[in-house]
Amino acid sequence: MKKKFGVLLATVLTLSTVLAGCGGKDDSKTITFWTPLTGDDGAYMDQIVKNYNATNPEIKVKHVITADMYTKISTVLASSKGVPDLAIIHADRVPGFVKQGVLESMQDTVLPAQPELKAENYLPQAWNTGNIDGTQYTVPLDIHSNVMYYNKDLLKKYNAESFLDDNVVTIDEMLSLQGKLDEGDYVVNDALLGWVILAQIQDLGGDIQVDGKPAVNTPVFKQAFENVKKIADAGLMTPFGEDGYLMFQSQNVLFSTDGTWSSTAHAGVEGLNFGVTNVYSPTPDKFTNRSSSHLFAMLKNDKRTDEKEVGIANFLEYVRTNSMEWAKAGQNVASNVVNQSPEYKDYMQSFFTSDEKEIESLYIYTYEYYPYIAEAVDTYCADIVRGNVDIDETLATMQKFVEDKIAESSSAAK
Amino acid sequence: MKKKINWAPAFFVGPHVILFAVFILLPTIYGIYASFTKWNLMSDPVWVGFDNYKAILFDGGSTFHTQFFRGLKNTLIFVAMSVPLLIIIPLMVAVALEHKKVKMKSLIQSILYIPGLISISAAALIWLLIFNKQLGITGNLFGSQIAWPANQPYAWIIIIVITLWGGIGGNMIIYRASLSGVAQELYESAELDGAGSIKRFTSITLPSIRFPLIYTFVMTTAGAFNVFGQPLMMTDGGPRQSTHVLMMYIRQLAFGNGESIAGMASAMAVLLGLVILVISALQYYVMNRNAS
Repeated sequence: MKKKFGVLLATVLTLSTVLAGCGGKDDSKTITFWTPLTGDDGAYMDQIVKNYNATNPEIKVKHVITADMYTKISTVLASSKGVPDLAIIHADRVPGFVKQGVLESMQDTVLPAQPELKAENYLPQAWNTGNIDGTQYTVPLDIHSNVMYYNKDLLKKYNAESFLDDNVVTIDEMLSLQGKLDEGDYVVNDALLGWVILAQIQDLGGDIQVDGKPAVNTPVFKQAFENVKKIADAGLMTPFGEDGYLMFQSQNVLFSTDGTWSSTAHAGVEGLNFGVTNVYSPTPDKFTNRSSSHLFAMLKNDKRTDEKEVGIANFLEYVRTNSMEWAKAGQNVASNVVNQSPEYKDYMQSFFTSDEKEIESLYIYTYEYYPYIAEAVDTYCADIVRGNVDIDETLATMQKFVEDKIAESSSAAK
Repeated sequence: MKKKINWAPAFFVGPHVILFAVFILLPTIYGIYASFTKWNLMSDPVWVGFDNYKAILFDGGSTFHTQFFRGLKNTLIFVAMSVPLLIIIPLMVAVALEHKKVKMKSLIQSILYIPGLISISAAALIWLLIFNKQLGITGNLFGSQIAWPANQPYAWIIIIVITLWGGIGGNMIIYRASLSGVAQELYESAELDGAGSIKRFTSITLPSIRFPLIYTFVMTTAGAFNVFGQPLMMTDGGPRQSTHVLMMYIRQLAFGNGESIAGMASAMAVLLGLVILVISALQYYVMNRNAS
């Protein structure tokens, strides 16, 4: 019995050693790169990394698609083990991460190693969103926006093609179709409704904060909700609870307010004759496409060597000059070399970098507590727009919601 | 003479004990500690005593108070609707499958069990398409004009449907295994004494499977309190947050859109754990006493 147990134990120990050996590969020549790109875009990023590694760089990049990445980031930062060398984070995470001291500046490390990694070579808001108090923490990959697709055939059918003349479809223009649509057809869906509301705030000249304090219960917010509610009240918005995105693809909706990244999915729908324009606005003078940005960032990690930081700089420079692949994912590539190239014009989203006014329309919120405001808007917007709740009361609730969360998270960070 | 120690049982039990300690026990203890802190996962927890609990339980103006009690109420609604069905339907199916005239028992059992193996995300996508007014079966085949996820009670109905679809198989297997152990002589004697099928069911079947019944009732209830995937995927908590269950709020606070509020989330999780503990103990006490 004793002998048998000894043999068993020896086998287990041997197997453990062998398995441990599998994971013990020297990682000083590998840049571990985490992304939250779990959709089709992950495959495009994979290809970019593969292409880069094919250039035989001294330090190769290992792309790890990480579902629920922010949760895992919290875990690895708390334990200081397994922190990736490079990660893609979203623009609205930067202020919070910087405040918590978990982002490594790129200013004195990565950027000097590749002089072309500089503001002039990127879409301005994508670059600026990574700049906190004069320090550059990120290098941008893209801007991804809430935009508005239109069904060309339906616009023709309802004689509404003129709506696109000035590239701004106004709420009044949409309302002009009241009573003119066949049963089952709608003017616009409610895809990314929260993003649409946040765009309206900008269109109305407002903001989500005043002097660093959240400003949700304001006349501008109320006006924004009321403007969008007019469309729903007129029966022109897809019914609450229906999948408006699919209804656009099934050609029952004139306009769909979803993301730049959806163009590839829409293009896969047989017979869907569509184009893209700006998200609807109350006024033809101002239009906003609420946006975010994927940014390359380095989380604080003592084990990251100078050599690796140079390797990261080389990879980012490669991406800057070779990221046409990323355009295939439907995103607005942040690198000017790419977004100004003739080849880029073949991609539908190039509309949003076609002139200064369009570039300006890609608005990224950088308020530190933007995520809480977005959460509040997403939680309550459908019910406000559908008239299920009292707007004044709900705005007060939303304001309290944001303030409570800020108070709790701020005191935790002290 | 030196007593020989038999290490073999430890060798088999040890890994489980280690895994339990590392992945269940320690996180639970740390979670209880975290519930007394303000913590955002990134920085060190700051001890605040009962502040989180006070805000959740007694501060009527606090968002966390509102979220906790709204989430608890919605969770209780789900428990009250789903648990009886998750007990009664599998029991009825198991009893029916024991009947001699029923053919292809294994096939039926497999068909009922397989949905439980499908991930909740995939299942939700399937059922959302089925219930889609424009594109789904309910709209196109049956002419239903109901926007299911957007109106009550339909939102609850689709959540319960997907829960039953995935949940009845597991309990049914337990009941079938228990029913196979009931002595046939008892039924034959009862039949000779003139007992009808209902009398046989209540006087022989139910008492004979008392412990599996208590087990499934307690475990199904505890599981129902942890409901998360179905409302998240089917209704995203709507309409008007009426299906926003407590686990959704807890997760949102811990790993939500903004900075984490893990201390508050832990306090809510501990309170939910206490609710489950009390209800499970009550269930066990009442059922065991009645059965005795």
